[in-house]
Amino acid sequence: MKIKCSIDNKSQLLDVNSNKPLNLILIEESGGTIKLSSCNSHLCGNCIVLLNDEAVLSCLIPAFQLKGARIVTFEGYQKSRFFHDLERAYADTGSQPCPHCFNSKTLIFESLLQRIIKEEGTTSRDEEIDEYAIVKELSLNTCPCLDAQEVIAIYNAAAVYRRRRRVRRS
Amino acid sequence: MYEGVRSPAVHMPKTLGDLYFASNRFPKALFWAGGTHIMSRPNYYPDKESPDVISLQGIPELRRISRTEKYLEIGSMVTFEMLLRVGRQVLSPLLQKTLENTATKIIRRQITFGGSLATVGVRYALAGTLAALQGEVEVKGNLGPRTETQWLAVERLYDKQGRLLLKGDELITRIRLSFERETFSTFRVGGSVMQHPEECVYLSLSCTYSQSVINNFKMVITFPTSLFLVPYEVGMMMSGTMLPLSSQHIGRAVKSISDEIMVNATETPHPIQLERAKRFIEASLHELNAQSLSSR
Repeated sequence: MKIKCSIDNKSQLLDVNSNKPLNLILIEESGGTIKLSSCNSHLCGNCIVLLNDEAVLSCLIPAFQLKGARIVTFEGYQKSRFFHDLERAYADTGSQPCPHCFNSKTLIFESLLQRIIKEEGTTSRDEEIDEYAIVKELSLNTCPCLDAQEVIAIYNAAAVYRRRRRVRRS
Repeated sequence: MYEGVRSPAVHMPKTLGDLYFASNRFPKALFWAGGTHIMSRPNYYPDKESPDVISLQGIPELRRISRTEKYLEIGSMVTFEMLLRVGRQVLSPLLQKTLENTATKIIRRQITFGGSLATVGVRYALAGTLAALQGEVEVKGNLGPRTETQWLAVERLYDKQGRLLLKGDELITRIRLSFERETFSTFRVGGSVMQHPEECVYLSLSCTYSQSVINNFKMVITFPTSLFLVPYEVGMMMSGTMLPLSSQHIGRAVKSISDEIMVNATETPHPIQLERAKRFIEASLHELNAQSLSSR
C-alpha cells in the first residue's frame, strides 16, 4: 500500500503493508534515527507520537489510517520552540523522566499543555485539567521513574511558561 | 522477517450504501472501528493470514450523536472522548464514570462504542454498564438491498460467558439509552484488562427507589474473558425490598451471585477475581444503603 504523509515536516511516500503499526514503520523507515519501542502491543506507552497534533500510541495506529497524516516524533518535536517550555520545567523542578521513557512522557506532557491552550482559547470550562487527570494521563507510560508529585510539579511549571508564551503572542 | 506477510486490502466506504456493497463483495473482511482492541492483540502483526479490512471510519452516519424526546442515540463509531465532551450534560452518571475509568484520554480518543461492544474474546466494561442502564443496540444484518434492522437489549448480544452472539455479517450501527435517570448507580473496576484480564472484574449497578422501596435493580458483573452475568434472581429479590438492606439480605445476595458465577464462568475464576466480585457486590450494596439513609 502506498501512503503519502508527512513525518517530522518532511513529506514521505511510504510503501508498506496496510496493517503495519506506525511504530514499526517509523523505526524501519528512519533507519534507526527515530527511537521508539517495539513493544509488540504490550501497551508500555513508550511509542507515543503526535498524529495530526494529538498524542497517540503509535503501536495502535495501522498504516492505512495514515493517508495525508502529519506525524511528529519526539525527534521532530524537540526542534520546536514548545519543547523549551518542558526543558525549562524539568530544570526548574529538578526532576525529569528517565532516559528510557523521556521521549514518550515529554510528548504526553505536550499533549496536556496543548489542551489548556485550546481550552483557554475556546473558553470551554467543562474540561478543566485536574491533578488526577494529569497523573492518570502520564500513567499511560508504565515506567515508574516519576512519582505523582513530580508529574504535577513539572506540568504546573511548564504550563506557566506556555501561558506566558501565549500572552506574549497575543 | 516479513517474508510472505500479506498486506490486507482495505475498503473505506463513505456511506452505508457503500458499506453494504463492500460487505457483500468481501464477506470475510473484518469490520474495523477504532482498532484499539485488534491492534493491541499480541502478535497481530506480522500475520500471514490477515483478513481484508472494511474501515468504518469514513461513514458520517455512524459518528452521530442525536437525541430524541426519550432517548440518547449514539452512533457506533462515536469515540468515548467524543461522547464525554459533547454529551456530558445528557449522560447518565454511571455511563460517564465508566467512560472516564476506561484507559486514558489518549486512548479514549480512539475507542469507539461499536468496537468496544463487538470485540471477540474480551468483554470490556461498557457492555455491562449499557446492560445495567437497559440500553439497546441497533443491529443490521444481511447488509444489502434486504437489510434487516432490529433493536436488541445489550445483554442479548452475549451469552453468560460473555461470548458475542452476533453473526459475521451483522453490524452494530447505533446505541440507544433512555433519559430516565437511576436514583443510585455505581461502577467498580478491579485489575487491568490489558495487563491481566484473568484477574479483572467490572461491576455496574443501577437502581431506582422511591420512598425507600426498590423498584428497579439491575446489576451486571463482567469477567473480561469468562463471564457476563446479569443476576436476575437477585434483581427480583431486591425489587420491592425496603432500604436500608439488612446484613442478612446483603449476605444472601452475595452468596447467590457467587454461586451463579461458579456455575456460569467458562473456566474456574481466578481466586482474586472471585474475591473482588464478592467485595464489590457487598460494597455496592452498602453504598446503596448509605445513599438511601443520607437522602431521607
